[in-house]
Amino acid sequence: MEFLNFLLILWTAWLLWRRPERERLAFGLLVVSCVLMALLFLVGTHTSFVPGVNL
Amino acid sequence: MIILIGVPGVAAWLGVVQGESPCILCWAQRTSMVLIALVGLFILRYGPRPRYIGLAVLLGTWGVFMGLRHSALHLARDVGQGFAAPIFGVHTYVWAWVVHWISLAVIGALLLLLRDTSAENWGRAPGPAGRFAMGLFMLVVGANAFQALVSTGPPPFIGQADPVRFALNPRRWVWSLEELRGRISLRGSWTIPEPDPAAADPDPAHGPLVDLPALPVVSWERVGTSLDGRLSDLARDPVSGRFLAVTERYGVYLLDSAASGVLHHVVLDHGFSIDLSPLAGAAFVGSDTLAVVSTNKSYVLLRPDPQADADLMWRRFSETDGAVTELRRSRFATVRARQMYVMSLAYDPTADELITVALPSPRHRRLVVSRFARSDFLLASEFEPRLGAGLTLGGEGRSLAEYVVTGAVAADGLLYAISAAYSTLLVIDLRERLVRAAYAVPGLEQPTGLAARGPQLLAAQADGRIAVLRRPTP
Repeated sequence: MEFLNFLLILWTAWLLWRRPERERLAFGLLVVSCVLMALLFLVGTHTSFVPGVNL
Repeated sequence: MIILIGVPGVAAWLGVVQGESPCILCWAQRTSMVLIALVGLFILRYGPRPRYIGLAVLLGTWGVFMGLRHSALHLARDVGQGFAAPIFGVHTYVWAWVVHWISLAVIGALLLLLRDTSAENWGRAPGPAGRFAMGLFMLVVGANAFQALVSTGPPPFIGQADPVRFALNPRRWVWSLEELRGRISLRGSWTIPEPDPAAADPDPAHGPLVDLPALPVVSWERVGTSLDGRLSDLARDPVSGRFLAVTERYGVYLLDSAASGVLHHVVLDHGFSIDLSPLAGAAFVGSDTLAVVSTNKSYVLLRPDPQADADLMWRRFSETDGAVTELRRSRFATVRARQMYVMSLAYDPTADELITVALPSPRHRRLVVSRFARSDFLLASEFEPRLGAGLTLGGEGRSLAEYVVTGAVAADGLLYAISAAYSTLLVIDLRERLVRAAYAVPGLEQPTGLAARGPQLLAAQADGRIAVLRRPTP
């Protein structure tokens, strides 16, 4: 899924460069990438969301 | 921008050339840096629109959390230890926290410097520098995409906790979904309930050890003075015969040999310097030093002192008779029992060590004996006692970790430990590190302390009654 996310990012950057009029699409892809990144981190930490230390 | 493209760029180079593969958390942090750089390209292209800046701040904030959450796995390890190789002596998950924190600072600084008229200059096609930044960005992201394909695979596969090193040989590729395993939890292994021995099953017949001999109560005595709360432990000095009683509400009482006359009384200020949770253990360290411990393994040493400095002791005691000096307060640090509370304290004069027995919990099913050197109060040794010969567990899934030790006393090389769960007395051989014997003690109600008086054991209860038992010597 990390690979997919980098592809989305590449697509977004290409839109900025070659298709600047597609700003809404580019920003939408950016938000999707952010959410996917956060989800993958949460998957990796789902057994203990809070840092595993004494609070 | 330099950092945010440079870091993932260098990381990808290290990964492909040197074979260092990121774990699933590292991938998310690296992606977050790339995304902040991408927001920078948006600003370059369209100007500093509020939603771009807002997203960058959110990414920075999330990245700081990711760095802390990831670093927390390793920060408490011994010097030099960590996950994967460090860069300039600092591991990458700490750098991730630093980079995201710096990005937040830079965003703030740039906003501070942004002039209102500067919006006129935005929205044009990027110049040479901008095109260079975009080109470099796509090169770095392309390299990361290639490394991610090899290391983590295409969807639906995701990153791993322990990735293998990078290799172009597909036979060495590991594409996995193992990170989806495990139950969802807010605090994981730190999900530890506060101790509640009153909820323990007192019936010895339900305990994990079968066919235990009974150790009947010989007689009943009582703490003959009113205390400022529930009694939470009782200790006896073998030389003077005096008793030390502690209550959950931080009361410390030095009593006479009849456990009725109050010789000294203080109430500890539980908020001064350390977080003192309710007191749960007491022991004499020699005849003139009183040691008390709280459920979170914080401890206080006291000494009767007619010359006590009232001004100095004011900060340590919320109430005092004026003739007690506090010598020290600190915390015991353990290894196996780190995520476990205690409700007992004993002193072994032979080894000159203080001893605690940890309370098991659903997440940590172990019976741990921790021993602290009197010389520096650091952990001297720690063990989970084995089962001695002649003791049998009653079936699959039963273990010594079901006992809830609320009182302990050391005598003749043995640690006597009374469990509120199943009203059982455990006799632990401190040298052999095993449970040498166990006895059912019928008739106990919420035992909270254990003391020795010659050939007798005194099992104190929360209501102030004391069950007198014969002290077995197996």
